Amino acid sequence: MRRLITLLALLVAPFAASQAFAADLPVMQGLFLLTDYPAQTVRAGEISTIRIKMQNSGLAPEAMALSLSGVPSGWKIDILGGGQPVASAMPGQNESVGLQLRVEVPKDAKPGSQQVVLSAKGSRLQSAELPLTLTVGTEAPAKLSLKSRLPSLRGTPRSAFEYSVTVGNDSGRDLTVALSAQGPANFQTTFTEGFGSNEISSIPIEAGQTKDIKIKVTPPRDVKAGDYPVLVKVAAEGATADLRVTLQISGQGRLALSTKDGRLSGEAEIGKASTYTLVLNNDGTAAVDEIEMAGTVPTNWKVEFNPKTIASLAPNEKREVQVMVTPADKAIAGDYVGSFRATARGESSVADFRITVTTSTLWGLAGIGIIAVALLVLLGAVARFGRR
Amino acid sequence: MLPRRGPRGSKREGSPFTGLGPVFMKEFADHLSSARMMVLMLFVIVFGAFPVAASLQQLRTVTEQDSYLFLRIFTSAPESLPISFVFALNFIIPIMAIGLGFDAVNSEFNRRTLSRVLSQPIYRDALLLGKFLGGLATLAVALAALWLIVFGAGLLLLGLPPRGVEVARGACFLLAAIAYGGVWLAASLLFSVIFRSTATSALCALGLWLFFFLLWPMIASAITIGFAPSQIHSAEQYLAVEQLGLVLARFSPGTLFSEAVVGLLNPETRTFASMLPAQMRGVIPGAPLPLDQSLILIWPQITGLIAGMIVVFAAAYVIFQREEVRA
Repeated sequence: MRRLITLLALLVAPFAASQAFAADLPVMQGLFLLTDYPAQTVRAGEISTIRIKMQNSGLAPEAMALSLSGVPSGWKIDILGGGQPVASAMPGQNESVGLQLRVEVPKDAKPGSQQVVLSAKGSRLQSAELPLTLTVGTEAPAKLSLKSRLPSLRGTPRSAFEYSVTVGNDSGRDLTVALSAQGPANFQTTFTEGFGSNEISSIPIEAGQTKDIKIKVTPPRDVKAGDYPVLVKVAAEGATADLRVTLQISGQGRLALSTKDGRLSGEAEIGKASTYTLVLNNDGTAAVDEIEMAGTVPTNWKVEFNPKTIASLAPNEKREVQVMVTPADKAIAGDYVGSFRATARGESSVADFRITVTTSTLWGLAGIGIIAVALLVLLGAVARFGRR
Repeated sequence: MLPRRGPRGSKREGSPFTGLGPVFMKEFADHLSSARMMVLMLFVIVFGAFPVAASLQQLRTVTEQDSYLFLRIFTSAPESLPISFVFALNFIIPIMAIGLGFDAVNSEFNRRTLSRVLSQPIYRDALLLGKFLGGLATLAVALAALWLIVFGAGLLLLGLPPRGVEVARGACFLLAAIAYGGVWLAASLLFSVIFRSTATSALCALGLWLFFFLLWPMIASAITIGFAPSQIHSAEQYLAVEQLGLVLARFSPGTLFSEAVVGLLNPETRTFASMLPAQMRGVIPGAPLPLDQSLILIWPQITGLIAGMIVVFAAAYVIFQREEVRA
């Protein structure tokens, strides 16, 4: 039975408390001057801004004249409202008006606390006061932080490495943060804003805020496989922060088909095989395996490669490939284009070859034979019918 | 030449070329100084000058790159005057050759000078050959002069020197033109041997020219159509019909000449017939052939012209040898 009563008491108690609190609220009538931090630190030779709110709770609106007292000599404190110097404020019923105190502390201000009182006086005996304690302190150093969610990315020399980093301003002032990055030679780094496309070199960050920036690192095309660190640095007013991001670059092979002297043309006689020497080069960063040679030539032509397939080609290795082209028997003399191809998985290279087809001079000899026959006929006529 | 036994048992002695030199020089000099030659030259220059002037005027406005620009003087047919220099030559050269050769032998007959000439130590062989070579040399001089005029005009008005290969192609073109003239000169010589009347000889030679120039293309196409199957089913069949038409057309020396000229002056020409689609694959269009390949391409045409010239001359020779010259 006792236990039941205790349980009931426990259930009822919160209700009673909340009802008492709700009943108290309308009693809070009056005019108040409020600020988040009534005791603040200011720095000598600098301007600080203190936010103040004038709250009118349940009173009729009234113009409140503002005044300051206890301002130390040499200090300059302005009352600002909406960015302008103001002398009075008038909050509506149950509304508030934002004010700012612009405190300009002289350079030679001595360390120590100063009491300043902001008072507001209405014409109908209403008044409010706000004592503020301003302590002249030594300067707190600027502080930056730098974080990355994915500090290590993997890709080929041709991929784009994009790192998202968060820069935080952990100091009490707005800072303009300069961005820089140190990478291996010929690595290109650019900074862009979180979702923007403009390249930036510095970014303003408000006190206590963070901003997302993107770093894009472009490695040179001929970079060898391996891990490459890039040191990202942010700096503002003597504060720095750095972060090491890593590029894991895996190699990629690249084929280039050409000839020894770069000349991509040749001659071929109709019906006869002509051999050209091609040079296959791997100017990528990884070996290329299972390379197959193929060619496209005009109809009825023959094309053969020696070797037809190459098992593997290491980076910077060259291999000569003989290609044998036989124009069709019925081909017509002139210039033709044929293309030779080296294909491996994911990699290929094409060389267009200009082939000048020539006819054999055999028929020319036949023509001379016909003229010779005609001359023989003439000589025969001379021998047969000549009159001397 | 060694002495041989003739058909009538008479002995032939001495070279048939004895007296060739004087006959050639005399004929050459006579032609060059004759009024007929002046008229022919005037005719040629007027007919040649118009197409050349028109094509030069058009070429001066050409802005695209053309590595054979100089050769276009010969072949381009401007819109204002739809004949090219080459086309003009195609019918001027026969007229010139006929004009030079139609009375070569029969005028000597009619003037009763033939027996007087032959009483000199000059054989009939040498007389006929000398007359032919004299005419051919005159023709060559006239054509070379015309050729030089065209090249000079091109240099002056285009302000660009021809490349070596262009000059070589132009020179081959000149040789082809002389060979073409030789055919017609031999033909007119043949008629001057056959007919005693110069008028008949000229008429026959011009008639033959008109036949080949106007009538033969029509006859050739009529024959081709007659032989063609009623329905053409394949490209090969079409090519066979086209080939027949080409072979027939090539009996005309004019066709041989114009094909030779096209091959020489349009270096892009690969063939005179159509190309099969299979042969067209991989072709680089507009790529010029090297000069030797162009020469191989037109070699049958050149051969035909030279062999035809020799055969026609041989016929004239045989007839002349069997003729009675005493009058």
